[in-house]
Amino acid sequence: MSQSVRFVFRGKIETLDEDSCGLQPSTTLLNYLRSKKGRQGTKEGCAEGDCGACTVVLAEVGDNGKLSYKAVDSCLVFLPMIHGKQLITVEDLSYSENGVTKLHPVQQCMIESSATQCGYCTPGFVMSLFAFYKTHNNPSRDEIVDAITGNLCRCTGYQPIIEAALNACVHHGVDHFTSAEAKIVAMLNEIASDPSTIVLETKRQLYMKPLRLQEALSLRKQFPKAIVVNGATDVALRQNKRNEIIEEIIDISDLKELKGFKFDDHQYIIGAGSTIEHLRGFSVNEIPALATMLSRFGSLQIRNLASIGGNICSASPIGDSLPVLFVLQARVVLQSIDMQRELAIADFISGYRKTELKPDELLTQIIIPKSNDSSIVKSYKVSKRKSLDISTVSAAFFLKLNENTVEEVRIAFGGMAAHTRFASATMGFLLNKQWCRATVDKAMLILGAEFSPIDDARSGAEYRRSVAANLLLKFFLESVQPSNNLS
Amino acid sequence: MRAPNKDIYHDSAALHVTGKSVFVNDIDLGNSVLLGKVVYSKYSHANILSVDTSKALEINGVKAVLLAGDIPGVNQMGPVIHDEPCLAWQEVNCVGQAIALIAAENADALVRAEREITIEYAPLQACVDLKTAIEKNMLIAPARRISRGEVNSALKNSPHVLTGELFTNGQEHWYLETQSALAVPGEDGEMFVHASSQNPSETQAVVAEVLGLPKNNVEVEVKRMGGGFGGKETQGNHVAAWAALLANATQMPVKLHLFRDDDQVITGKRHPSQSKYEIGFDSHGKILAYRVEINLNAGCATDLSMAILERAMLHAENAYYIPHVEIIGKAYKTNLPSNTAFRGFGGPQGMAVIENAIDRIARYLEKDAAEIRLLNFYAGDNTQITPYGQAIENNKLHQLYDRLLQSSEYFERRKHIQDINSKNDFVKRGLALTPVKFGISFTTSFLNQAGALVNIYNDGTLLVNHGGTEMGQGLHTKIQQIAALEMGVAVNKVKVNATNTSKVPNTSPTAASSGSDINGMAVKNAIDILKARLADVALSEFATRYPGHQFSGEFVIFENDTAYYSQMPEAKISFQELVKSAYLRQISLSSTGFYRTPGIYFDRNKGEGKPFYYFSYGIAVSEVELDVLTGQYQLLRTDIINDSGSSINESIDIGQVRGAFIQGAGWVTTEELKWDGKGRLLTHSPDTYKIPAVGDIPCDFRVELLKDSPHEGTIRRSKAVGEPPFMLAFSVWLAIKDAVAACRHNHADPDIQIPATPEVLLKAIKEINIK
Repeated sequence: MSQSVRFVFRGKIETLDEDSCGLQPSTTLLNYLRSKKGRQGTKEGCAEGDCGACTVVLAEVGDNGKLSYKAVDSCLVFLPMIHGKQLITVEDLSYSENGVTKLHPVQQCMIESSATQCGYCTPGFVMSLFAFYKTHNNPSRDEIVDAITGNLCRCTGYQPIIEAALNACVHHGVDHFTSAEAKIVAMLNEIASDPSTIVLETKRQLYMKPLRLQEALSLRKQFPKAIVVNGATDVALRQNKRNEIIEEIIDISDLKELKGFKFDDHQYIIGAGSTIEHLRGFSVNEIPALATMLSRFGSLQIRNLASIGGNICSASPIGDSLPVLFVLQARVVLQSIDMQRELAIADFISGYRKTELKPDELLTQIIIPKSNDSSIVKSYKVSKRKSLDISTVSAAFFLKLNENTVEEVRIAFGGMAAHTRFASATMGFLLNKQWCRATVDKAMLILGAEFSPIDDARSGAEYRRSVAANLLLKFFLESVQPSNNLS
Repeated sequence: MRAPNKDIYHDSAALHVTGKSVFVNDIDLGNSVLLGKVVYSKYSHANILSVDTSKALEINGVKAVLLAGDIPGVNQMGPVIHDEPCLAWQEVNCVGQAIALIAAENADALVRAEREITIEYAPLQACVDLKTAIEKNMLIAPARRISRGEVNSALKNSPHVLTGELFTNGQEHWYLETQSALAVPGEDGEMFVHASSQNPSETQAVVAEVLGLPKNNVEVEVKRMGGGFGGKETQGNHVAAWAALLANATQMPVKLHLFRDDDQVITGKRHPSQSKYEIGFDSHGKILAYRVEINLNAGCATDLSMAILERAMLHAENAYYIPHVEIIGKAYKTNLPSNTAFRGFGGPQGMAVIENAIDRIARYLEKDAAEIRLLNFYAGDNTQITPYGQAIENNKLHQLYDRLLQSSEYFERRKHIQDINSKNDFVKRGLALTPVKFGISFTTSFLNQAGALVNIYNDGTLLVNHGGTEMGQGLHTKIQQIAALEMGVAVNKVKVNATNTSKVPNTSPTAASSGSDINGMAVKNAIDILKARLADVALSEFATRYPGHQFSGEFVIFENDTAYYSQMPEAKISFQELVKSAYLRQISLSSTGFYRTPGIYFDRNKGEGKPFYYFSYGIAVSEVELDVLTGQYQLLRTDIINDSGSSINESIDIGQVRGAFIQGAGWVTTEELKWDGKGRLLTHSPDTYKIPAVGDIPCDFRVELLKDSPHEGTIRRSKAVGEPPFMLAFSVWLAIKDAVAACRHNHADPDIQIPATPEVLLKAIKEINIK
């Protein structure tokens, strides 16, 4: 058992324990930085991961032994989550050469494109673009847009920031971090060589960070009331916005056993701890309907933190990944120290933010059967703003036709009920019918009647009902003429 | 002379990108600084029966808990009308109204103290929406009227008349830096406030008032704001007053930085509006008469509402000459936080009505709306007069229109869009062109004054102080350029200081797009005074070096860090030497400067005058693509041409145009404020209140400044640019409407209010298909 969090900062290994900083273990990385002298560049804009002003970059050793650089919202990161990583903030990007301060290419290009006005969001943009710079060369506009969707700017209208990214990302990611990489990797490997569970305890909080699955499962048994966090993108809000003190936390963000993907001819096996971004990348070719949904999941900063297991277990009524997993008939693997079981995803989700997960269990894997080549699977997300918005309605459709008769159909919606649900009546109606506009028109009426959505800040119930029905029509149109898409 | 560094970068850009620029919340005073928090009403209208703070005071680390009774001065912070208490007592008038203040050593103690404060309320009947306020006629001040001609008979005699109503929702400023202030008590009752305020002089006045101090004991400094947009024109005063009260009570520095959700709940927003209109026109689309009643939701206090209403009325006709016109303006009191200034300052609410009306005329007559607009533009020959009696001079509308129609390929694209729409049932495109004519000057005429203090140090460097504040708009950068150009020195010799009430007193807010116009002139005035003194010194130097020659002051030229004699260029002296010589000759190297905008006045009772020094013009064309099944849309392309006169800094001006346009696009599309029936804001954080993200900007975004367009009588012949392009976003709104109308092959006139969310659009599509 270890009592300290270790990470690389300013070229050295930094060690934090509960005494050295006088902070709660679950202090956010943002608040930690803002408490440090000379680290005020990282700003708080919203404390909920919606504005990106607090973006920093975490570098970790990837499978290839090289560093991978990821932009994250530091307001959503509990301090122990940076254990074993390199922390890079806006103050680290410029460097001194022969006594002269040199700016990083993304900083220089931000200035030259007039991409900064009031400057409050700028450090966040700089950090998002820095992570992007490390992995992109001559990027497309779309790639840039995706990289900075999680950063809000109220002054510039974004155009000059896009221009800055285009101008900066032409050096194949080479910069002054490149030359230091081997040294940093060695330091991170040294930290990783100690796999013992980190336990931080203060008067009001017990924070446990196991680094092996078996350890995690035994902690889960021992502390059944502890809140399990992986990316903390949801749980951190309870702390930031409701000022809750979470008494017991089990942080599973560094369980290697829960990361990555396996597949054979019949199914995909997805580690529940895989980040949404990692899974999105994997899904692009393998499970496109899932990739479609995940590419509109939060922002890159959030996708770099949030895990698929966390998204499922939060059982949000919207839960962007859920409708797709429903129609793909995904199964979840639930493991405790004593046993392992599998449940269909639709059975796992039991109510508004409720699941069948037992207090001693962890969701470890998601199994997705490979769908037959002739089936059509699509997903849709409808929201007020196209990107970085919570779904008003999310939907997924699975259809298998025999000639033109519906042989198999599944339709699931988020945002239409207290939890993700199949449109069972509509599915029942469609089965064995001709797949044609007349059938769909009738099905839309049934669909409109089988849900009782609510009015809330995002939209009225009537809009949800209309859109849900229209999405069925949209799916029909795309199934018969694949190009009928919004450009 | 052309600027040597016409496009220098923003003077803080290098600090911003390295994270080294300091905002109020970044100021480091070590451990001595306390944190402040405001405890606010949970009810929109209630009597306060009791407040118990005793338990809160017992919490370790809590240093003060203040209520209205603890205010040493006047419990008031209304900027124009004194109807806004600093802390509520006996009665609260909106959710978010401040009741108590806490100072503590750390954030944890603040949270715990807030939980321990018990407030007993007796709820009263509340009015939380504009519709009810209009029904009950709850005016906050008497109605205003501007009129010309015989509108009744002109309407009666018009071949065609359309009537309608338009609702525009409010808008949250969403400056990235929430409201913040750091108050530092000094000796003998002095108070120094680091504020995030567009109006340091008023912040000083409010702080002095609540503390019961004369103004000369209060010093307010604004280094920069992380965005303002009008939200810190009056309401930045509030946090400053609260921080100052806590600092005064504890005699320790107190920092108050609002949490995002608190900021959204507490502060006022753009005024929601509900307007009724009748418009008469002939079969060509020429407008003959227009009657409009603009109703604004002022919220629970007056704040700047009457000035905002006035600007809405003064922009009701936008770019169009209307012979017979009547404009009625009313502002209503509701139990919501007091609505306040926001980029455009009423202009958007006034203009939206006429722009929508013209769009309707075009649909009624089945003509292209751009052509109806052109037909009604103020004449290019400067002969026409606004409803309030100001002559239109230097009208650029026709020039901008011709240029933009061509560069945006408007008619070619219109045809292409019709073609696409005829082939697609579920994806529709829309196109719209909208103009802006925006009056520049505070309509409260006396505010059109500015001061400056320019110091030249004896190493030849300049420190410029002026009354304007920097909120990202690049004012300090332009001032730096103006000072360098006027003094004839390199820009790197000039530094612009933080705005400070002890350097330049009695300043006007940085608002009404007037920042560089008036402060630039004041700086020029100070530099002219200094140049006159330095010219005398130069003459003495020249006379010594060239004995026997006669030199005269008017021929001394300041350029390229040198003063030289234009009739004899070899007679020259470096600026640095000249300054040193002046110092040794005991000549003052410091001067104040002052400017008042000439010739403007406005009679509010008659609704007549020349309220504006000049008008700023711009036109935009936007194209959108609408998903008919979901109501979601994408902005495909926007072309803008804007008249900035002789731009002082083109990249800064283009930045203002782009930023204002996107902010306007947010207002007309995704930025939706929702309150529940009890006046509680539902959209109080960015997860429900959606400002534009990068994916919302046009895929193709072209902004051009009108070339060779110097404007006489302004600083370096430039024109104001901060607000006008906001209203170019009507092109987005009406392009969306155009796409909706295409769902019925353009034989429909969909009713689309602001904002046009996907929900609104899906409803509109449904309605036109039922009709």
